[in-house]
Amino acid sequence: MTILECKSLTKSYGDVRALDGVDITIEPGRIVGLLGPNGSGKTTLIKLANGLLVPSGGEILINGLAPGVETKKIVSYLPERPCVPDWMTARALLGFYGDFYEDFDRSAAEDMLSRLGIDTGAKIRHLSKGNREKVQLIMVMARRALLYLLDEPIGGVDPAARDYILNTIISNYNPAASAVISTHLISDVERVLDDVIFLREGKAVLAAPVDELREQQGKSVDQIFREVFRC
Amino acid sequence: MLGKLIKHELRATAATMLPILGVMLLMSVLTNVGARVMDGRQLPAALEVVFVLVIILFFVGLVAIGFVTVYMMVRRFRDNLLRDEGYIMHTLPVSVHAQIWSKVLVSALWYAVTGVTVVLSVLLVAFDVETVKILGDFFGELFRAIVREDYLGEILLEVLLLMILASVVLSLSLDAALSVGHSFAKRKMLLSELTFVGLLILGSVFTFTLDGMVPSLPDARFISDWRLICAEQAGILIAEGAFCYCVTAFFLRRRLNLE
Repeated sequence: MTILECKSLTKSYGDVRALDGVDITIEPGRIVGLLGPNGSGKTTLIKLANGLLVPSGGEILINGLAPGVETKKIVSYLPERPCVPDWMTARALLGFYGDFYEDFDRSAAEDMLSRLGIDTGAKIRHLSKGNREKVQLIMVMARRALLYLLDEPIGGVDPAARDYILNTIISNYNPAASAVISTHLISDVERVLDDVIFLREGKAVLAAPVDELREQQGKSVDQIFREVFRC
Repeated sequence: MLGKLIKHELRATAATMLPILGVMLLMSVLTNVGARVMDGRQLPAALEVVFVLVIILFFVGLVAIGFVTVYMMVRRFRDNLLRDEGYIMHTLPVSVHAQIWSKVLVSALWYAVTGVTVVLSVLLVAFDVETVKILGDFFGELFRAIVREDYLGEILLEVLLLMILASVVLSLSLDAALSVGHSFAKRKMLLSELTFVGLLILGSVFTFTLDGMVPSLPDARFISDWRLICAEQAGILIAEGAFCYCVTAFFLRRRLNLE
């Protein structure tokens, strides 16, 4: 069964159309790059998939269901900005995720935290910005979800942190699951992607497997992106 | 899941509320001590200033603590569901209804705990052997009156239930106002405040309208009138609460606008 499906999906904010009749499908076991410049609708699409927004038209289905309590059990979401409660300790956060998600692998999360040398007794607000982001990523990737929705996971971090984040995604990602990685930093993520979806001004202008795209056009995804979105 | 939400909500709110209420009780004890020490004694000027300040702070605290509790609950709802933490909370596999109930029940609990703290603070300030004796006599007489006059216990119980209901409705109306105000892109707090004023006006209009519709009982005994008043007040509160609940649920589900 398709894990994520958009049918004529539209989202408007007043007169502005953030998404305009998007039709896409994502199959299980694929890592998909949701690529597009700022304001192309990537975050809106991910928010719709998480039930944080309601479509203005069309529909979005996760594992055949409209976003709701049941789909949230199988979707692991990394928001664009750090938003874990900063008054909590990392240990309390482990308890929090463990309480609400049956698929949360606490020992995997503890292992990742200890490898980073993060003191689980320290409050999140006392960690560096980089470590706060990593803690959030660890909580998301320690779930054995069917769909990971990662909104700009490598935006605004240094190259070393980018490598850590991508390695964490790859090494913790369940092969039967799908992951959607939204970004405009194509060259960094290209190596991990199976498929790409290009969004421009709320429309899906291209959706194809990465290998097929490279073979057909003889260029890297980054080069194709630069051509498609040339200013 | 509601139980888990309440557990985490209690943990989060206790981190701020317990120190506030603890300070209030501590100030009561210091006020009591200060009043005793100063009673008819000549103290060093610095010590006298300290005790006078403590006494002033206690009375300011006594007036302010209710507002502080309401503010803390409002801040918790806003920060947890309508700002960045909302990305975590609204993607948990729990319904919006469970989210609202966890906030409302925990807020109502803290309002009750604050009320008890205020009473305790006053008792601590007034505490001495004579006061304890007077209070013992008062509560003994009250208990005997409740046993003697069966309606007195009923009245006290109904007043207590109405107070609990009113605190739940207060939480719901604040949550509704915040949910509406934060659905806009800008000036979220100002619009939340305006919505709260709007809800208060709507509630007043509703109460006046209902007052005109419910017939009085001119020949009834006092207790019958009292029951009617309580039933009417409870009905008004439940209707207002239900309205605010629906508004909150609608805006959290359909008009969520996280920053």
